[in-house]
Amino acid sequence: MMKRISAYSRPESIGEAFACLDGPGAVLIGGGTKLNGRTSSEPMSVVDLQVAGLDGIERLDAGTLRIGATTTLQQLVDSEDVPAVVREAARRELPSTLRAQSTLGGAVVSADRESELLAALLVHDAVVFVARPGGTDKMGLEALLAHLPLASHDIVTAVAIDTAGTASVARVARTQADKPIVVAAVRVGADGRRRLALAGVASAPVLVEEEDELDPPGDFRGSGEYRRAMAAVLISRAIEGVS
Amino acid sequence: MELTIKLNGVTHSLTCDAGDSLLDVLRREGCFSVRYGSETGETGAAAVLLDGRLISADVLLAAQADGHVVTTVESLNVATGEMDPIQEAFVETGALQSGYSAGAMVLATKALLERGPDPTDDQIRDALSGILDRETGYTKVIEAVRRAAAVLRGEKPDPMEPLVVESLSGNLELAETLPPLGLDVSPAVPRLVTSPDVPETAVVGKPEHKVEALRLVKGNAAFADDIELRGMLHAKVLRSPHAHARIVAIDDSQARALPGVHAVVHHANTPRVKYASGGQSWPNPRPHDEVSFDDKVRYVGDRVAAVAAESPEIAEEACRLIKVSYAVLPAVLDAKSALAEGAPVIHDESDTVGIFDAAHNISHHIEGQTVSDVEMDAAFARADHVFETTFEVQQMQHTPIEPHATIGWLDEDERLVLRSSTQVPFHIRRMLAPLLGLPVKAIRIIKPRMGGGFGSKQEMVIEDIVGHLVLATRRPVRLVLNREEEFISTRTRHSQTLTYRTGVTSDGHLVAQDLRVLSSTGAYGTHGFTVNSLTGARGLSLYNCPAKRFSCDVAYTNRPVAGAFRGYGAPQAFFGLESQMEDISRALHLDPVAFRRMNWVQSGDALDILPRLGERGGVVEEIAPEDLPHVTTCGLEECVAQGLRAIGWHRREDPLWKQPPDRPHIRRGIGLALCMQGSGIPFVDMGACSIKINDDGSFNLLVGAADLGTGADTVFAQIAADVLGVATDDILVYSGDTDFTPFDVGAYASSTTYISGMAVKKAAEAARVRIVERAARLLRVDADEIVLRDRRAWALDGQSISMGDIALNALHTEDQEQIMGTASHWSTESPAPFAAQLAEIEVDVDTGQITVNKLVMAVDCGVAINPVTASGQVEGGMVQALGYALSEETLLDDLGRPLNARFGPYWIFRSDDTPTMEVFLVQTMEASGPFGAKSIAEIVIDAVAPAVRNAVLDATGVTIDAIPFTPERVWRALHPQPTVDL
Repeated sequence: MMKRISAYSRPESIGEAFACLDGPGAVLIGGGTKLNGRTSSEPMSVVDLQVAGLDGIERLDAGTLRIGATTTLQQLVDSEDVPAVVREAARRELPSTLRAQSTLGGAVVSADRESELLAALLVHDAVVFVARPGGTDKMGLEALLAHLPLASHDIVTAVAIDTAGTASVARVARTQADKPIVVAAVRVGADGRRRLALAGVASAPVLVEEEDELDPPGDFRGSGEYRRAMAAVLISRAIEGVS
Repeated sequence: MELTIKLNGVTHSLTCDAGDSLLDVLRREGCFSVRYGSETGETGAAAVLLDGRLISADVLLAAQADGHVVTTVESLNVATGEMDPIQEAFVETGALQSGYSAGAMVLATKALLERGPDPTDDQIRDALSGILDRETGYTKVIEAVRRAAAVLRGEKPDPMEPLVVESLSGNLELAETLPPLGLDVSPAVPRLVTSPDVPETAVVGKPEHKVEALRLVKGNAAFADDIELRGMLHAKVLRSPHAHARIVAIDDSQARALPGVHAVVHHANTPRVKYASGGQSWPNPRPHDEVSFDDKVRYVGDRVAAVAAESPEIAEEACRLIKVSYAVLPAVLDAKSALAEGAPVIHDESDTVGIFDAAHNISHHIEGQTVSDVEMDAAFARADHVFETTFEVQQMQHTPIEPHATIGWLDEDERLVLRSSTQVPFHIRRMLAPLLGLPVKAIRIIKPRMGGGFGSKQEMVIEDIVGHLVLATRRPVRLVLNREEEFISTRTRHSQTLTYRTGVTSDGHLVAQDLRVLSSTGAYGTHGFTVNSLTGARGLSLYNCPAKRFSCDVAYTNRPVAGAFRGYGAPQAFFGLESQMEDISRALHLDPVAFRRMNWVQSGDALDILPRLGERGGVVEEIAPEDLPHVTTCGLEECVAQGLRAIGWHRREDPLWKQPPDRPHIRRGIGLALCMQGSGIPFVDMGACSIKINDDGSFNLLVGAADLGTGADTVFAQIAADVLGVATDDILVYSGDTDFTPFDVGAYASSTTYISGMAVKKAAEAARVRIVERAARLLRVDADEIVLRDRRAWALDGQSISMGDIALNALHTEDQEQIMGTASHWSTESPAPFAAQLAEIEVDVDTGQITVNKLVMAVDCGVAINPVTASGQVEGGMVQALGYALSEETLLDDLGRPLNARFGPYWIFRSDDTPTMEVFLVQTMEASGPFGAKSIAEIVIDAVAPAVRNAVLDATGVTIDAIPFTPERVWRALHPQPTVDL
C-alpha cells in the first residue's frame, strides 16, 4: 500500500501545529484511520494532533458540552455526559477497533454523507470551533459541512453541543450494523423547537424541515427515489420517538 | 525516524519510515500474530492493544504509537506449550477455524475482560465488531469470550460436549407442536441427534481440540506470509484499468531503470502458454483460455505486468512507470448482452481451443436430461399445473481474511519452491510446470497453514506470477494481494439467471422439471463447465421426478472471473428450486412441508440426473436403473423435524406474533428450505496418506490434503487415533507438501473428510496390521486376539504392551522395520448430505429492511467425526450464506470498474449483526465413508437465501425472486409502482 508519507510531526500545542502546517503537503490527522488507509500520489507530511491538548469533554453550562476534537468516538460512547443519541450514533459509526482510534474532529472534517453521528450532532445544535493563525472562529456544524474542505491552516479544535431536550433517531440499512442508507435524527430542545437532520440524502448530512423537497443522489445501496421515500418514513418515525 | 515503543512489556527503540504502519513495524519485529487483512482497518486481522485499547494496526502509523504501550498476543506466550486462560477458552470452544485473526480475537477478549469481568452478550459482540471473521459465524468466538470470562472469575465451566437430542423419528406433525429444546444451553453447543446404527468409538465423534490449536491461538508464524527470506523481493501486479482492451505497446524502460527493481514481466517477455486456472484433475476442463500475461485485457483488474523489487513501495512505483498503450474495446458486463448479436467478442484469439462458441461469447453449453425431449413434452402435458419462474442470483466474493499469498524461491538444488496459500498444491505443481517451462519434478509446492479459501484458492491466481519472477531474478519473491485485488482479480461466485419450469399433479406430485440457466463466467472459463453442471445436478436431485432436463449457456463477460466457490453451483440452484417449491405449495393450497415430503428423495431413490452432468462429460445413452447412483443414507426427515421444532414453526399460524400490535410496520415470518450436496467427485477425486510410528509410539501422518481452516487435519488425526488406539495428540499431522506428502486432489468438492479421510483410515489400518502382528509376537498370543486402546496393545488375558515399547522393538531391537502404512482412496459413490435450513425474520414494511433473528440448520452429514468443528462449519457457512441473501454483491459501474471492492461497501456480516444460530447434527451411518461420515463443508451455504425468501413470503405474502434482498429491492416489491429510472 502506497501511503507516501514523507514526514511526521506531533505538535504539542495549536501554535506548534500551525507551524507544522506551513510545510508542503501537510495534512492533519486525528486518529489517522481514514488517511492512513488511503493512497496518495503526492508525498504527505502528517501532523498528528494527539498531544495538541484538544482532548477532553467539558460541561460549559447545564445545557452545553464542549468536546475536544481529538476525543475518540469510543470516548464519546463511554461518556455519561454525552446525550444518549450521540453516544449511540458514535458507537454505530465504526466498529470497535476504528472507534478507539477515530476522533470527533476527523469525523467532522471527513463529512461522511451517511454519518449518523453527524446527523445526531446537527440536531444537537453542534457548533464547531476552528482555530486559525488569527484566532478561533465558531461555526455551526451545518455551515462547516457546506464549506469543506477547510483552509490549509484551519484546525477543528472542539465541538460544542446543546444537550438539553429529547432526541430520537431512525434509520434504514442493509443490516443492523451496516451504516445507514438514510438516517433521520430529531431533537426537541429546551426551547421547545424541533430540529430535524438527515444523512444519506445529500453530499453531507443536513438539517431539514419536514416539508423540504429533497433530491438525494443515489448509489448502489439506494437510489435517489428510494432515499427520498425513506427520508419521509424515517422523519416521521424519529418524530414519533420524541413525542 | 526513531521511535520508542513499549512492546509486550519491553521498551524498544526502533527505526522506521514515517509512512510505515504499526502493522509493518510489528511484523518486522517478529510479531507475526499481527496480520494483514486489508489496508483500511476493517478486518481487524492486525488488531493490537494500544494503551490497552483494541485498535487496527494497519491504519495506525508506527509513528503515532511512539511513546505508547503496544500489546500483541505474543505477550501471553510465556511458556512453551502452555496457554493463557483466554487462549484455552478459544481452543476449548472450537472458536478457531483458520485462526488467521486468532491473536486479534484473544486481545479483544483481554481488553474487554480487563474493563469488567462479566460482559453482556451485546458488549461481547460490540467488542468483537472490529474483527471480521469469514469462518466461524462468530457463535463459538462469542462463547469463547463468555467462557474466558467465567474462568477468570474463578468458575469452572463444563466441557464443550454436544447436547444429545432425542430423535423425533421424523414425526413432523409432532415436531411442529413440541416446545423447543435446550433453551438453557448455549447456541454454540452442537445439538447431536444420535442414531442406533452408529457404533461407539473412542476418539471419532468426540469434540477433540484442533491439532494445530496452539500454533493458531498463540499467533505463531504459520501462514504463507509469516516467513522472511534473505534477499527477498516484493512483487506487485500492474492491472488493467479497462474492461476490454488490446495492449498496443508496453514500455517498461523507466520501470526497469528505477533503482531497486529486479524484474518486469509482461506479455512481450514471457512465453505464451495456454491454461485454465481452475485447480482440477488432469486433464483440466477446457477451454484453456488464459496465459500468464496476454496482449489483451478482458476485465478491470486483469493482469498486464508484474514487477519484483526490493520493497513493496518500489514495486508499486515501478508499476506506475510502466507505460502501456491500450486500444480500448467495447465491453459487455452481463451475460445477456454478451450473447446478443453483434456483441464484442471477448475471446477472439486464435489459439484457444475448446470454447463452445467464441464468436457469441459462449464458453460452455451444458445439457443433461433423464428423458427425451418428446417424453419431456409429454410429461408436461400430463401435469395438472405448470409453474414457470425466473430467478436472478448475483456475483459475490469469497473474501477470505487471508488474501492470496505466495512466497517463492530457488532451493539449493535450484528447484522452484513455492510456499502458497492454496487449496490444491498438487494441481498447482502440475499446472504451473508448462507455464514456466519446467518439468514437474523441478517444482515443490508447500501449503502452510491457510487463512480461509472457500474455493478462491482452488485456482492458480498468483503462483505463476511468482514463478516467473523467481526465475527472472533468481531471488526469493513474495506476492500478497491487497484487498482490492482480492475483490476484483481472484475469483467470484457465478451469477445466474435460472428459469424453473415444473409440472405438478393436483395432489402435489412432481411430473416434470426443466431448468434453464444463463450464467456469467466473467473474463475466463475456468470452472464454468463444472460449477454450472453442478447447478443442474443439485437443482434436479432433491426431489423425485420422472422427467428432468437441464440446459445452460455460460457466457464470457468483461467482469471479474467466476470460479469455484463453496457450494459450487448449488446455492444458485437451491434459491430457485426451494423458492419455487414454496410457491407451488401455496398455489395448490398444500402444506409446504407435506408437499416437499411427498416428493423428496429417500434412501434407495435414484439420483438420475447425476450421470448426465458429470465432470467427465454427460452420459447420453440409456442407463440401467441399477447403474444409476442412489441415495445411500438420508436423514432429511429427521432434519426437518428438528428444524421445525427448534424454530417454533407453529408461530406461522399466530397472527399476534406475525404482526406485533406494538410495532405496526413489522411483519414476522418463518421460512424453510431444503438442500443437499455431494461428498467428493465420484471416480475422479483421490486422496492418499502415509502413517509411520516414532520411538515414543506417536505417529507422523502425512497427507496431501489441504486444511483451509475447516479442521480437516484434526479430523484426520481423530480417524487415525481411533484406528491405532492412541490419543488425537499422538498423531502429528503434516499436510499438503508436494515433496513430502502423498498426492491428493486438494480441498474442494466436499471431498476431504470423505475421500482423504478414508485414505487416512486405510493407511492407519495398514500400520495397525504391522503393530498388531508385532504385539502378538511380543505377548506370545495370536494376532486376532490383540486390541489397541489407550496407547497399548492388549491381549485377551489382560497382558499388554505400550505403543512406545512396540515402536522401540520395531525400530531398534529385532526384525527391525519402520512400521508404517500407506493407502490411497477414491470412490464410485458421492453420498449426499442433506439439510433443513430455517430462518426467522422480520420485515420492516415501510423501509424494506429485513432483519434475520434466528437461523436453524439441521444437517445429516453422516457421522460427524468432530461435532464441535462440524457445527463450526455450519455456523460459518450460514453467515456467509446470509451475506449472499442480504448484502453481498460484486458491483461494477457502466465501464466495468468496481464500485464496492472494499469491506464496508461490500458488507459481510459482523459479530454485532449476526443472528442467533442453532445447529443440529443428525447422524446417519454412511457405509462408504470413514466411520460413517459424509461431507459438511459446502451444504451449509446452500439454503439460507431461499429460507429467508420464503420467510419474507410468510411474513408479507410477497415473492421476491432476486437476491440480495437489499432494503430497496424489498421495498419495491412491497410497494409496487410505475418503474422509475434510477
